[in-house]
Amino acid sequence: MIYWFEELGREHNDVVGKKCANLGQMTRMGLAVPPGFALSLEAYRLFVKESGLAVEMEKYVQKFGDLKGQGITVFDEMSKTLRSMIESREIPGSLKTQILGYYKDLSRRLGIDDPAVSVRSAGTESRPGMFETYLNVRGQEQLLEKVKKVWASAYTSRAIAFRANKGFPIIGDELGVAIPKMVNARASGITFTVDPVTADDSKILLEANWGLGEGVVSGAESVDGFVVDKESMEITARHVGSKVKCVVYTKEGADWADVPEPMQNMPCISDEEIIEIAKVAKSAEQSLGGPQDMEWAVDQDLEFPKSLFWLQTRPAKVAAKKKVSATSHIADLIAKKFGGV
Amino acid sequence: MGQEMVKLWDSIPGFDFNPEIDLPELNSWFFDGTHSVPLLTPMYAWHWIRHCGHGSQYSAEVLSMPRYKGFTFRDHEGATYIGMRIVRDEAEVAKRTAKFKENSIPWIEDFDGIWAKQRQELVSMYDKLKAVDLDKASNIDLIHHLWDMISTSRRMWEIHFQGMNVSYAAFLLLEDLVKPYGLTSESPEFQDMFRGFDNYVFKVDRKLWELAKDAMSMGLGDIILNTPQEQVMGKIEQAKNGKDWLKKLHAFLAVDGWRMVRMMDFNEPYWLEDPSVVIAPIKAFIKKGGDYDLDGMTRKLAQGREKAIANLLAKVPKEEKPWFEALIKLGGKTGSFSEEHDLFCELHCHAVQRRGLLGIGRRLAAAGTIDKPDDIWFLNPDEVERVLGAPEFHKLQYIANRRRKRWEEIRFSQVPPVHTVRKDIQEAVGMDLLPSADAIIIKIVVGELPRVRPELKADIYGVCGAPGVAEGPAKVNMTYAELDKVQKGDILVCPGTNPAWTPVFGLVKAVVSDRGGTLSHTAIVGREYGLPTLVNTFTGTATIKTGQRIRVNATEGTLYILDK
Repeated sequence: MIYWFEELGREHNDVVGKKCANLGQMTRMGLAVPPGFALSLEAYRLFVKESGLAVEMEKYVQKFGDLKGQGITVFDEMSKTLRSMIESREIPGSLKTQILGYYKDLSRRLGIDDPAVSVRSAGTESRPGMFETYLNVRGQEQLLEKVKKVWASAYTSRAIAFRANKGFPIIGDELGVAIPKMVNARASGITFTVDPVTADDSKILLEANWGLGEGVVSGAESVDGFVVDKESMEITARHVGSKVKCVVYTKEGADWADVPEPMQNMPCISDEEIIEIAKVAKSAEQSLGGPQDMEWAVDQDLEFPKSLFWLQTRPAKVAAKKKVSATSHIADLIAKKFGGV
Repeated sequence: MGQEMVKLWDSIPGFDFNPEIDLPELNSWFFDGTHSVPLLTPMYAWHWIRHCGHGSQYSAEVLSMPRYKGFTFRDHEGATYIGMRIVRDEAEVAKRTAKFKENSIPWIEDFDGIWAKQRQELVSMYDKLKAVDLDKASNIDLIHHLWDMISTSRRMWEIHFQGMNVSYAAFLLLEDLVKPYGLTSESPEFQDMFRGFDNYVFKVDRKLWELAKDAMSMGLGDIILNTPQEQVMGKIEQAKNGKDWLKKLHAFLAVDGWRMVRMMDFNEPYWLEDPSVVIAPIKAFIKKGGDYDLDGMTRKLAQGREKAIANLLAKVPKEEKPWFEALIKLGGKTGSFSEEHDLFCELHCHAVQRRGLLGIGRRLAAAGTIDKPDDIWFLNPDEVERVLGAPEFHKLQYIANRRRKRWEEIRFSQVPPVHTVRKDIQEAVGMDLLPSADAIIIKIVVGELPRVRPELKADIYGVCGAPGVAEGPAKVNMTYAELDKVQKGDILVCPGTNPAWTPVFGLVKAVVSDRGGTLSHTAIVGREYGLPTLVNTFTGTATIKTGQRIRVNATEGTLYILDK
């Protein structure tokens, strides 16, 4: 029902969802992943079954009949109802006990009371940005509430509309939940082991900002950019952005905040950190057998290199195909034309 | 029986067409109507049959053409027949293909650079030959000169085919790749991509055009227009401004005069040798009128080319664009390099050979071995070598005069387009030509076969060399010498053309050729001049008579004789 990340691997995709399986795989590969645990899809199924929600939700959805091509107001209405159905329901006793048991164990492992965690959705299919993630979640009550909110995020208007238009059942997208310890990030960023625009795979690209990774991934702010040559492992280009805003913890959760002026035009990571990140990314690319798109954070409470944590890796999506030189492509085609069968 | 065959022509030992031997070996032999009409003289055929075939084999070998080991020629009374050496064993093809890919890379990367080096090599060989003072040379020097010319000719043909094989391969590949975009090699949108190149041939044309404009402004236009060729130089010299204009003409010829009037033979002069032959193209420009704008036309075509390429590239997926563009550029060499290389290969080399051979002819004629210097065209180098050391001891009239007589009788006669064991020419082309994938033979020498569409009720069917429709009086023209008579607005009907004919393209309304495919000189130059051009009609010159009104619809491949 619930697993530590280190118990998981890519083969558990359908059990715990993609993000959890991925964090497991990364842990196995020796990447520094923040410790944490994963709620399987089965945990969600148990929740809706034992609480009687499964039947109620099915009944509610049936009233609407065929939803294909419906306007957004219908989906909004459904979303509101279904999400509040999920969020207001108690998690059945045995499941609740198990979740809290793992949280306590995590607390013990870290030596911190009520450690801050993030609560992240993990579907079996990759639907980037469709489901919710909650940052800086502390304490038992908050944890349980945010777990339900993640489950309920399978019923945002967008997610319902997506399934309706694809002809999938409205009751669907059962989610796993990843619950890693929150990194107290001084800086976070993303790393590509291939240029996603030009498909140049001789370089590693980094983007970084102060604070949490959400301050980079959202793409809203000017951030720092670095290029490392994959062969020589030297920094071949750097761009220090005017980082006016970043995402930081708030008392509950996380939010955008102003970057103090002296830090705005200062690189948020050191050269040492850049090289280390590039090295790890290169070896991850090798062991995963393809270019990667990775998320990382540098913890301000720990010392380098222990401070570097990896939050996600996935195959890099590249706009252009890998660039084969025009010459060799033409030579290929000519040879095929004149020598092919 | 074999004896019989050899007796018929006997000028190219070992290369005379012998159906009993040659047909079983390669199944089909295709007539090269593009290069051997009028039928070739023995001296030229001796060089051409050996060395051009060797050049094709050499290029197929150094490039490792996957399915093809080059062609071999046979001669039948001055008519050239081509046999293709097709690799039919797939294991061998696979091996050759791997090497072909490797060997084509330098060309794809630096076509112009490699060609520049080869051009340099050619020019320095020619310069050495030109340095020989033929009249002061000893008989032995002349034998050496003969040998040097033979090895120069052989090397010229080796160089000749490499760039062609690569650029034509690219062109054929492009033809495949544009199919999904609704284009074929006959569609105007496709052909437009290969027009308007500022190549060397065109540069020479421009100089002629300038000379024509100068002649008009210097008041010499009428003399050039109205004086017969044999008197024209004298008349110009006596005219006011005449000497000044001739100075310009000679300055031009010193650079560009090593150019044969007929590309594939030795029997017609080169420009520098007989400046009066250059008057014909200049005359053509004068007839065209003072407002004729050659530059404007090329500019327009170049713009059209850019547009056609841009239109195609706009449809090509983004990631394919870089190599597609490079491929179009490489394929474009068929329109630029292919014409330019004729100047540096055949036209120049043959002019140098003509000079040398005429020098030898003079020596033989002086010794009484032959009657006149140009009887040398009716001997072969082996026979010349046999007597040249001391010609006064020998007589060759019994060979030269017999061959000349025969050649004069048959030089314009029609010969079968193919000798084959197959059912017909279509099957022969399908089995014994197309599998070679040799674009030079498929697209130029033999050419695509016309599609006969009875519903169009045309008198003659052909292949579209350049699109368009035109109507006008036919001018059937067999040789360069007759070009003088072509009038503005005529439709030129000819066996085929070579680069020396280009100036009349500015004069005529359309061009119809007996032989040649979509990459023949006729088609390429037709495109450059924006003329409706119908090629490979097979029977054009035989069916159409000068003066008949004809309508050419090159786009659909038809020709109508309006007053039969």
